[in-house]
Amino acid sequence: MIRSAKALAERRRSSERLALLLSVFAFAVLQSQPISPDWRALESEIMRHYQAVLRLDTTNPPGNEHLAVDYLKQLFDAEGIPSQVFALDPNRSNIVARLKGNGKKRPLLIMGHTDDVTVDASKWRFPPFSATRDGGYVYARGTVDDKDNLTAGLMTILLLHRQRVPLDRDVIFLAESGEEGNSNFGIQFMVAQHFDQIDAEYCFAEGGGVTRIGGAPRFATVQATEKSPRGIELVSHGISGHGSIPLKSNAIVHLAAAVARVGEWRPEVRFNETTGSYFRGLAAISPPDVAAHYRDILSTDPKVRAAADDWIVEHEPQHASMLRTSVSPNIFTGGYRSNVIPSEAKATLDVRMLPDEDPAAFLEQVKRVINDPAVEARFPAQNNRPPAAAARLDSEPFKAIEAANTRIYAVPTLPTMSTFATDMAQLRAKGMQCYGIGPAVDLEDGPKGFGMHSDQERLLETELYRFVRFNYEVVVDLAGAR
Amino acid sequence: MRGQGTWTWGLAVALTAFMFARGFAQGGPDWKALEPEMMEQFQAVLRLDTRNPPGNEHIVAEYLKGVFDKAGIPAQIFALDANRSNVVARLKGNGKKKPILIMGHSDVVTVDDAKWKFPAFSATREGGYVYARGTVDDKDNLTGGLMTMLLLKRYNVPLDRDVIFLSEAGEEGASNFGIGYMVSQHYPEIEAEYCLAEGGGAIRIGGVAKYTTVETLEKIPRGIELVAHGISGHGSIPLKSNAIVHLAGAVARVGQWRPEIRFNETTGTYFRGLATIAAPENAKYYRDVLSTDPKLRAAADEWLFENEPLHSSMLRTSVSPNIFAGGYRSNVIPSEAKATLDVRALPDEDPAAFLEQVKKIVNDPAVDVHFTAQNVRPASKFDARLDSEPYKVLEAAAKRVYNTVTLPTMSTGATDMAQLRARGVQCFGIGAAIDMEDGPKGFGMHSDQERLLESELYRFVRYNYEVVVDLARAK
Repeated sequence: MIRSAKALAERRRSSERLALLLSVFAFAVLQSQPISPDWRALESEIMRHYQAVLRLDTTNPPGNEHLAVDYLKQLFDAEGIPSQVFALDPNRSNIVARLKGNGKKRPLLIMGHTDDVTVDASKWRFPPFSATRDGGYVYARGTVDDKDNLTAGLMTILLLHRQRVPLDRDVIFLAESGEEGNSNFGIQFMVAQHFDQIDAEYCFAEGGGVTRIGGAPRFATVQATEKSPRGIELVSHGISGHGSIPLKSNAIVHLAAAVARVGEWRPEVRFNETTGSYFRGLAAISPPDVAAHYRDILSTDPKVRAAADDWIVEHEPQHASMLRTSVSPNIFTGGYRSNVIPSEAKATLDVRMLPDEDPAAFLEQVKRVINDPAVEARFPAQNNRPPAAAARLDSEPFKAIEAANTRIYAVPTLPTMSTFATDMAQLRAKGMQCYGIGPAVDLEDGPKGFGMHSDQERLLETELYRFVRFNYEVVVDLAGAR
Repeated sequence: MRGQGTWTWGLAVALTAFMFARGFAQGGPDWKALEPEMMEQFQAVLRLDTRNPPGNEHIVAEYLKGVFDKAGIPAQIFALDANRSNVVARLKGNGKKKPILIMGHSDVVTVDDAKWKFPAFSATREGGYVYARGTVDDKDNLTGGLMTMLLLKRYNVPLDRDVIFLSEAGEEGASNFGIGYMVSQHYPEIEAEYCLAEGGGAIRIGGVAKYTTVETLEKIPRGIELVAHGISGHGSIPLKSNAIVHLAGAVARVGQWRPEIRFNETTGTYFRGLATIAAPENAKYYRDVLSTDPKLRAAADEWLFENEPLHSSMLRTSVSPNIFAGGYRSNVIPSEAKATLDVRALPDEDPAAFLEQVKKIVNDPAVDVHFTAQNVRPASKFDARLDSEPYKVLEAAAKRVYNTVTLPTMSTGATDMAQLRARGVQCFGIGAAIDMEDGPKGFGMHSDQERLLESELYRFVRYNYEVVVDLARAK
């Protein structure tokens, strides 16, 4: 019994070996065929879809993401890719497309959000939904947040289907609404109501990318964890009256002083595993003058650290935000008529907490900095994202991303903590290993006012094409049948 | 002809004097009995929502026209915009003297409804007060003028001069519909030797009228706008150039700054007068602020700012940051933020030099400082004279009705008298008695709890009527 069982097992093993051999052969055959897309020829199609989605006004509020969903649905239908629309509100729909694999492995989810932050149209040189091409760039709201990922995910699905790439796992595409503040219509709705449609082992979304300095890619980042957004509201109360008689209690003056103090304050610098590896890695690959600042910021000497912090705040605000719980006063409203002293003024601080921050203790710090009993500081009732565990750095997707970065951009890969929240928070909370990726952007663009959410949001055309290739190759590497 | 004329004239005077004496002997107005009527008129106009913008002062004009028509007083509506009409009523005198104009504006400043304990247009009576937008700016003067007209007519008071009543629209920032329009298009309808409008009144301290002010001069309103520019971006990445942080710093500095103290004849007379009638502990500050010792002056200034903000504003060109707007979404750093400073310049202030001072205080190249493109009131050609007939009549009435002395003041707020003074009319600002303590407590004009004591409404109507009778009745 034992022996015959052994023999049976042996036979099964050899047949498995045969199957393995066959599949290796098949893979080799596939590999030998010219399955790699002709990237040069695809540029016009990539640009066409990118501009098409950029030109759909999905500013949130109100969103109207159904515009993007309708566009995507019609594309998927035309190509014969099964897709389905899910909506809590018909104007704020989500779309899921799925390419079936052989089921050997659990699915891979690739996602992009369809909504954009609002615009102040008068500030834009090129209309924010024109997707104007100028000097090698495309200018529009959403170019780097997040219609780049949306376009790349779309192209990857179209190409996998067109190339008939055999898959070991399903590849699921999700275009979700409401990422910019109303995830109840998007990822929250999908996770709560239709999780089976998007359930996956791994997911890719926004939050990483390649950093160019002086026009050349220097390193790639993969977002493995994220800061937690907590708004803080400041409200000052004073006596109202006629503007011809200034009052010491003027709510606007009190609030202005509070906002000035809190805006100039820099909370304590603190590292976690991801940011520590990030800055150490960055120091290793940066030019010596800049590397000195990255090393100094990790120093235990408070003077050395403070000088590095000053330099980083001035020159690399994104890095400054990775060092600490950050505070940015972004809204201030008070008064309704020039000759009336209002009895109230309000300001909103955009606070991005380090994953280990204690919110209540931080609020107390803010109160101490403000130091004015006429100004109240509190957390508004806000839709908080669930706390998320960091994604693993020794995983298959991280390695696939690292390999693609070396191949395509010739740069090393650093894990990062994103300073902003993404829809990955909800998926990580469900145990999914999520990684944030994105196209290459210039480190200098943010401070110059070309960054995401700015009035001149833009992306280099060449970097859009390169990102689509990167996206496709990483997905093929992870999901292609072996 | 000449003799007969003189005789006729003499008879007329005698008859008039007789009638006047009889009218007064028969009681004149019974002020107690008139209280319900005054309150009814006051509440009626308070309940008309004439917040400006949009104004809709025509609802007050139509109401008043109806009241005048019923009383048989000729009245006429004048309007640049049908919704923003003015009404003029006139009681004819014998023409011996040039007319007197009594006026009140029919619009009120806007309200933040959520902040009002009693709805802003409810005219709720509570604890002896009436609460509503406009109770002390300016439906008190409107009611005072209206009642004076009705009573002059009712008692057939013979007049040496026409008494003209004007209810004008748009005083709160849109005077092109009101006094600006009336002066430029219908000046003959309101032309007068003297005028009475808002801007003064008896001051109560601890519930007792202590002195009465008559406005003879006013500050000049000038708006200054601060605009900060910075780089826009995602709120998760704070930027050093954040427009809101820069503007907040600028507004904090300018809001805490107190421009130099400077006196003119009116304010010098006022503070000296106040020092003689105030309680010793307060009088000290009025004397000290006039002192040449900078330390004494600074300490007095500090006390006044804390305790008597109205007086503090009379000492200097004042600056009040009243609007701050920047940002539209909590996670977007805006590229611009704006603040508006309400500046009330002393009549002798040099605007350009003052703007330079503000720039030095702001001291931030990211913040642009400029005057708002605003409808600036004309500088007055003639201050009202303190040795004139109306001033003396006002002094006498204050003595009689409030048992107080009268002090000339410079109003910190602009009034529609500016346009009339620019035409050479001698204008005096009057008003109902208010508690000195009401302003800092949040019950003042333009506040969210604007109110007037009922008893002070009645007293003001009487003061108003007696002043007009004294100035206009046939003698």
